[in-house]
Amino acid sequence: MFESLNIFKTAHAMAKHAGLQQSLIAQNMANSDTPAYSARSLPEFSQFITNDKSGTQLRATRLGHLGVVESSMSSQITRADTTKDPNGNSVSLETELLKSVEARRQHDRAMAIYRSGLKIIRASFGSR
Amino acid sequence: MSEFSKAMGVSTSALHMQASRLRLISENIANVDTPGYRRKIAGVEAVQTGFDALLAVQLGDTTVDDRAPEKVFDPSHPLADESGHYMGSNVDLIIEIADAQEAQRSYEANLKVFDQTRQMSSSLMDLLRR
Repeated sequence: MFESLNIFKTAHAMAKHAGLQQSLIAQNMANSDTPAYSARSLPEFSQFITNDKSGTQLRATRLGHLGVVESSMSSQITRADTTKDPNGNSVSLETELLKSVEARRQHDRAMAIYRSGLKIIRASFGSR
Repeated sequence: MSEFSKAMGVSTSALHMQASRLRLISENIANVDTPGYRRKIAGVEAVQTGFDALLAVQLGDTTVDDRAPEKVFDPSHPLADESGHYMGSNVDLIIEIADAQEAQRSYEANLKVFDQTRQMSSSLMDLLRR
């Protein structure tokens, strides 16, 4: 665990994903009355994780998602052009609210993982 | 700037916009009986302040509804013509109430997102606490 600290990397990427998702939701909500605006969305976090079939390795995100190329997660943003209001807007307030609850839960989960990892490291230092 | 403060900035811009929109709607409702008043329509436009900034929202150009005004029959009114009619306003209360509902709904949704973003960022700060 202490050589690579994969738990922290994964939790960091997860929290970052949740934060980006939340900011996209805020943008969609803010523009829910803007004419000709199409809703933006980000793929789920599991889609960003490389498929390592060995099963024993902790899954880390792709290199590009951990600050090497800062914009690579936001380059996956897609626009939804499906159902549109008469003014050309495709934001659904209900969907956005549900997604924001999901982002909140994901962020809380990442924080819990991070905190518990910190606790283990602190215990190994002998401090309480 | 972090994603959270960007998100809160965008939500704030939307709260501001919905409040000004509600102000225009109340102006319309207040002037429903003013002779010759034309209904004002709030324009909404997206603005990008920086290269990687989120799309904030602001009140665009206000347009005036040019539907025909309502003709009111009142021969004793100073503005009445020879047939006894004068031009009222073209405000339709039902449309205004529906618009106000929509503005309120969007305002509440943005407030919700703002609050949630704030909670997420404060839980991040809690990591520093022991």
